[in-house]
Amino acid sequence: MNDQQLMLTEMANGVFSGLGPTASLEEHWAQIEELALPSLLLPEEAGGFGGSWQDALIVFRLAGYHALSLPVPEAIIAARLALGTDLEGRGTLASRTDGRLENGRFSGTLFGAVASAGASFIAAPAPEGGTILIATSEGQRTSAENLAGEGRDVWTFSDTAVFSLQDDVLMLGAFARVAQIAGLLDAALGLSVTYVNDRKQFGRPLAKFQAVQQSLATFAGEAAATNCAAMGLAQALDRGQAEFEVAAAKLRANRAVGIGTSAAHQAHGAIGFTQDYGLHPLTRRLWSARSEFGGDSYWANQLGGRVAAAGADSFWADLTALTD
Amino acid sequence: MQTFAIEALSWPQQGAELRNQVRAIVAEHLHPSSPALLTNCWSVADPAFSRILGSAGLLGMSWPKAYGGHERTTLERYIVLEELLAAGAPVGAHWIADRQTGTLLLRHGHEEERQRWVPGMARGEVYACIGLSEPNAGSDLAAVRTTARRDGAGWVIDGQKVWTTNAHNAHVMIALFRSVEGSERNTGLSQFVIPMDAPGVTVRPIYDLTGGHDFNEVFFDGVRLPETALLGVEGDGWNQATAELSLERSGPERYLSCHTLLTQLIRLAGPSPDAAVKALIGQLVSETWTLRLMSASVAAQISKGIDPALEATIVKDLGNSFEQAMPGLIQALVEADLASEEALPIMLGHLLQVSPSFSLRGGTREILKGIIARGLGLR
Repeated sequence: MNDQQLMLTEMANGVFSGLGPTASLEEHWAQIEELALPSLLLPEEAGGFGGSWQDALIVFRLAGYHALSLPVPEAIIAARLALGTDLEGRGTLASRTDGRLENGRFSGTLFGAVASAGASFIAAPAPEGGTILIATSEGQRTSAENLAGEGRDVWTFSDTAVFSLQDDVLMLGAFARVAQIAGLLDAALGLSVTYVNDRKQFGRPLAKFQAVQQSLATFAGEAAATNCAAMGLAQALDRGQAEFEVAAAKLRANRAVGIGTSAAHQAHGAIGFTQDYGLHPLTRRLWSARSEFGGDSYWANQLGGRVAAAGADSFWADLTALTD
Repeated sequence: MQTFAIEALSWPQQGAELRNQVRAIVAEHLHPSSPALLTNCWSVADPAFSRILGSAGLLGMSWPKAYGGHERTTLERYIVLEELLAAGAPVGAHWIADRQTGTLLLRHGHEEERQRWVPGMARGEVYACIGLSEPNAGSDLAAVRTTARRDGAGWVIDGQKVWTTNAHNAHVMIALFRSVEGSERNTGLSQFVIPMDAPGVTVRPIYDLTGGHDFNEVFFDGVRLPETALLGVEGDGWNQATAELSLERSGPERYLSCHTLLTQLIRLAGPSPDAAVKALIGQLVSETWTLRLMSASVAAQISKGIDPALEATIVKDLGNSFEQAMPGLIQALVEADLASEEALPIMLGHLLQVSPSFSLRGGTREILKGIIARGLGLR
């Protein structure tokens, strides 16, 4: 890590650990604004940090690690997408679009708009690829929540002017979730390790039972794989091409969600299943994140389709060319 | 909690050039008599191919030029390894010598032993094996009983090793023996360099369940070794042998043993397969991409002088689980006639049979998970 990344880590850790899973937009978003975090990816000449996607990885991962309930990754990505438009204020992302775009005007529905109450604009997948940016002032919002109680709203628009971009918001949203999954898994693993070291049964800590050790060792491998995948994707985004990597990384992270959540709950026994204990803010976010911005089937078909279309003789050459 | 030091990897500038060099050699010289030989190819020995790699400067790549090496970086060497494995090239003869024995001799060996063995290894002419397991010391390596007894200026070895991969091709072994009489567990152990043609060394084959010959029993009956045969510090054998495991556990061979089967699946699937085939290809490619990053990341750490023992263990455990699961996943997906002479069923049939060894060789899954658990602070 460079100095700026160490500083970013320290800042995000400090702020996010204080805010955690119970922070609210109304009371706490001002803290995020004060730190100018949403301008992380804006160039310095536009008043931003001039951050890279690897810098964003640090912030997004820590948002996951602390189960942060504020839409920080979405605001950062939306601000970057809105650079050069006249859209101002907090932006957010939606993950799915059903509708039509004609002559720069959109009619239809956006789904999965993240914590969008009070947002001033939304970046969503355009119906035919690319991204649309749309001001919320002319839309109708219907509240909806994911498993962790986070806003994933539905918006309808009728003949509303949009900005059209080439960028792939689904890819950027998926990157945010991969990074958050990496942090969430590390936090759930840490909680599990602490718990099995403290909790005694049959006269010794659970950690001393081989079955428990092996299960958490498997979990650690999944968390490690997700963190590496997140880094590989961030590097690809910084290089400017990440179609292959986003599919590979989200798929890998999604798989880790299944194995990690199961191991974490099994290690905790009944206490981990209670509302009072701090495991569910992690696992309910993990289960949600697995489906958001592309589930296993979507990305597996994208990636498998791409590799099959290129053919067996290109497979290894294409894979290595990503990093050469 | 973060158990894996994540590297922002920088791949070598000349990577593509190096790949092209390896691909050209593979295209010219790789003509297997059966598709099965393209699978798990680091168990396939072909001394002629090893010599070709040696003369192309692709063995001992990171060793000093004074010993026949080429002073290239760890990641340049990594590129060569992954290219050879992805193509299914027969690299078994020299694999162990190039991966760890040469490096270990350079790190700890007496100058005479280095001069004797290392340049030949870099030429692809001298091969090695590792003497660790014994009949009553498998996963419990600290139970080794083969003895090295001081005798004047030299040593006398008595005992037996087993499951010794490549012993029948090897010219030299590095082995762990008990050098302090009456010592227990991981104390009193030392590493030694043994010429395989020394009087008193006997190699007997152990055939695997396919009839293949990969591992062996090796007997030592009053084998006399010179003083120079002691590798490193007497009594420090346990630390030396376990430090070596990071080299042994994190390489691309720990996830690419079935890679050519995946390539063959993609070939058979054609450009627009049905959703189930696409999905499985997607899953397997996603794992391959991730494991490649993890494995290369460990190589990068080793090159900085860090010993990423925990990371290396995680890579081997994940990689072995992936490559071991792949044949079964493909068998479940495609209707394969395992009696046919087609490439995919032949490769699949071979890998179904040999893949149980993937989570045994180089440390069992249970041992690896125990090491990871210790890293997590559970033991």
